[in-house]
Amino acid sequence: MLQFLIDVLMRACDLALVAIALSAVYSLMKFPNVALVQYATAGALLAILFQRSGVPVWLAIGCGVGLTGLIGVLLNEFIFSRMLKSGSATAMIGSLAVSMIISAVFLLAVGPTATRFALPISRPMRILGARITEWQLWSFGVVAGALLLFALLYFRTDLGRQMRATATNEVLADATGINTRRMKALIVLISGLLAALGGVAIALKGEISIQTGLDLLLPVFAAAILGGLGNPFGAVAGALVIAVAETIVTNTNFGPLLGRAVAFLPAAYATAGSFLLLVATLLWRPRGIFVSEVKRV
Amino acid sequence: MSDFLIHVTIMAGIFSLLALSLNLQVGFGGLMNFGQIALFGCGTYGAALAFEQDLGMLTGLFFGLVAAAVVGWVFASIGRNLQADYWGIVTLALAEVLRLIATNEDRITGGAQGISGIRPFFPGLESRPQQLAILALVLGCVLVAWLLCERLTGGRYGLGLKIMREEPQLSASLGYDILALKRQCMVLGGLIAAVSGFLFAHYVSFVGPDQLGTSETFLIWAMIVIGGLGNNAGAILGAFLLQFTFAFVPFVKDLTGLPTEFVAATRLVLIGGGLVAFILWRQAGLIPEKTGRARHV
Amino acid sequence: MKKLLLAGLVLAGLSVSAHAEGVVIGTILPLSGASATVGEDQRRGIELALDQINASGGVLGKPLTIVTEDSAGRTATALDAAKKLVTVDKVPVVLGEFSSGVTIPVAEYLVQQGRSHINIGSSGLKIRTIGAGQFSVLGLDDVASDFAAQDVYASGARKVAIIVPNNGYGQGMASAFEKKFTALGGTVTSALLYTEGQTSYRRELQQLEAGSPDAYIYSAYGKESATINREGFELGLNDKPWYGLYLTMCISDSEPHYVEGQIGMDLNYIGPNGKGYQDAYKKKFGTDFTSTFNGFAYDGVMLVAAAINKAQSTDPAKINAAIVELGKDYDGVTGPIVLDADGQRSAQPYLHLKVVDGKAVVAP
Repeated sequence: MLQFLIDVLMRACDLALVAIALSAVYSLMKFPNVALVQYATAGALLAILFQRSGVPVWLAIGCGVGLTGLIGVLLNEFIFSRMLKSGSATAMIGSLAVSMIISAVFLLAVGPTATRFALPISRPMRILGARITEWQLWSFGVVAGALLLFALLYFRTDLGRQMRATATNEVLADATGINTRRMKALIVLISGLLAALGGVAIALKGEISIQTGLDLLLPVFAAAILGGLGNPFGAVAGALVIAVAETIVTNTNFGPLLGRAVAFLPAAYATAGSFLLLVATLLWRPRGIFVSEVKRV
Repeated sequence: MSDFLIHVTIMAGIFSLLALSLNLQVGFGGLMNFGQIALFGCGTYGAALAFEQDLGMLTGLFFGLVAAAVVGWVFASIGRNLQADYWGIVTLALAEVLRLIATNEDRITGGAQGISGIRPFFPGLESRPQQLAILALVLGCVLVAWLLCERLTGGRYGLGLKIMREEPQLSASLGYDILALKRQCMVLGGLIAAVSGFLFAHYVSFVGPDQLGTSETFLIWAMIVIGGLGNNAGAILGAFLLQFTFAFVPFVKDLTGLPTEFVAATRLVLIGGGLVAFILWRQAGLIPEKTGRARHV
Repeated sequence: MKKLLLAGLVLAGLSVSAHAEGVVIGTILPLSGASATVGEDQRRGIELALDQINASGGVLGKPLTIVTEDSAGRTATALDAAKKLVTVDKVPVVLGEFSSGVTIPVAEYLVQQGRSHINIGSSGLKIRTIGAGQFSVLGLDDVASDFAAQDVYASGARKVAIIVPNNGYGQGMASAFEKKFTALGGTVTSALLYTEGQTSYRRELQQLEAGSPDAYIYSAYGKESATINREGFELGLNDKPWYGLYLTMCISDSEPHYVEGQIGMDLNYIGPNGKGYQDAYKKKFGTDFTSTFNGFAYDGVMLVAAAINKAQSTDPAKINAAIVELGKDYDGVTGPIVLDADGQRSAQPYLHLKVVDGKAVVAP
């Protein structure tokens, strides 16, 4: 049982930061930025490259994440904000296009082989029969720390208040003297940093390849949408729900029911399970679980 | 005309059908379908399964059409009260679920090994006349589909779709049944896509789940955005342009002596970069939508 | 402007057909997309073969040229490439690909055009029926799985769990292994097909563990093998024997201490040509084999070069006849290659290996 819980938490960690980034950007920019999943890969790959060139691991992570955030801001300034003028759907397709270009850059710069941080590996600790490794704990720590910091910023500071005001009603926020343009730039930077950290958290536990980001695309979107796009902390709940759904598919042994020792659903159906959950939820609540605002037609 | 050009033209024709279908949904109806490849898959698997059971080509076509109509209808029904970007992700997820089923239910679909050796068109003919006959068949289908789309979108029905796209509330108040319009549009799009899948299956003689990846959907999107959203001729032009460009990238590699990775990266950059460039600088595409007049009213 | 550019491209494309004098052959590999790791490894084998051939005088006295095209793992792109190679580069022989879904349509087209096709990576059974002019330098049937099932059974394990990739290769291996192993009297507790490219396989491995098998049978390449071995070690699953299908590629990316003591089977790289090949690969690319497919690619190219030299012609029909002749007894780096009446490799010698000090060595 505890193992189930750990598996859920680890999977949720994979998704949570990128999903929260997606949702945060959506809250201000009103478009789902597909390129965020590529920022996750970029952050991790850059950090690994920095570590290879001799920078200590935590500093390398800082540099990789910071650089990715910067790239995110630049891309937003020169591409996405211009595309947004012709609608959110256009901007979404545009972000998809940018993801493809980033893929091409990865392909030429890194190649298809997977890499990882140079970190020592140890046997997992046993806690009440469940197994967890040291780097899984670190990864969890990174994710939890980032979430906590972001929550403090978002709910406890004046800056956060301005961000939330801009998200709720941009025109009104502008009228009350909030620099909404700056708020947008800031949220873009923060979401870039969060997504890159999400990638780093994955790389800390294992390998990362240029394909990792694109493989995250659907589960991350499912998590963000379940939580209600535009509601950042809903996305964390969404990530947990997706992780539970996937883990139920992979960890439930139907053997006893069927009179056999072991019988599992095909592992590939883990993703299918979470997608169907997404569709079912949207039929019930068209804007996600945690959104209560009036629906736009 | 060399065999190579005939082949590229056939492939461009098959993709033109997909582009016409998606353009009907996105360009005219404003339905952001990111699961287009699933409709195509209905056509390919319809043909392949009928072939496996020795049911004849037309039965296969029938299977494909029915399956695609059902999938289109379901997509539209799920989208009843979803916002465009939410619905886009849902279609993406559903298409992925269908692909997973095709990969894993190997007793029915042949699994990842797919179904091979599907009977070609005109098996009695010599190689060259056979190629030409297939070319004529494919181009004939494109012509019919184009005329159909022109007829549909140029008349009252097209006006209804456009009003729904631009002003859904207005269109509802004018007495249009939005859900019915969406369903019709998706089913029609599905039928055209299924024909494309049917042609593809018998042309390449192999059907498998790898052909149904999300990246294929993005490719079709690139075709219609570059060709011109809301213009049928534009969709066809976009499909031909991209197919021919891809087919000739390897020659550039041979001429310049660049490594083969260059081809893979170029393909991504061409789709991604083309999309970005057109969205930023020529939103209407190569052949812009005709506005301000309706011909068949 | 774009159209002008395109027209230029078309012209350029059609005029480039004439390569420098000498023999030209083509290959189609998945250099991008989901199977890019394998495609890259196949390319390495081809590169080694090309170096070797041109260092010793080329083909028909002139240097050999190989035109490599990317299939992107897509049927459509691979067909584009095949038609380009045949109608523009006018190659007599094409080697490739990896997934059956790409290999079969490409081979059908080539055979229909009267060219030769050498299959260097797909093991789908339907390849056998494509027709004359189609050859496979890797064993289709269930040669590999049969050997592995007998080997595992002989090692004493009776209850095993299998984990292989969810693609044509993995599905084929798993079902053939299960069939043979059950026929021998063993049980397969679970056969798991994993989705490639995941960030973790921990949950899949725990599923396997739930059946408490005597041994784990696995096959994986590139990134996945490294992840699976590390997580298997972390979960402590390596207290049971691990059996690698094509062991060399299963352990190539992994840290030595995760895979120490694993057993498995692989091709016979210890033949008269094999050892030198393994060293040459390591010297040129700095790693052990990243998959098992570079060897087949190498053998394919060497076989074609030998056939062209033997036929003293680049006429596909004569090359086919020469391949049939050579295929009676050809010594490749993957062991002796004997082609049957359908042009398919009939037998493949395998070795039983064990990982000692991080190296796969022949075990008794």
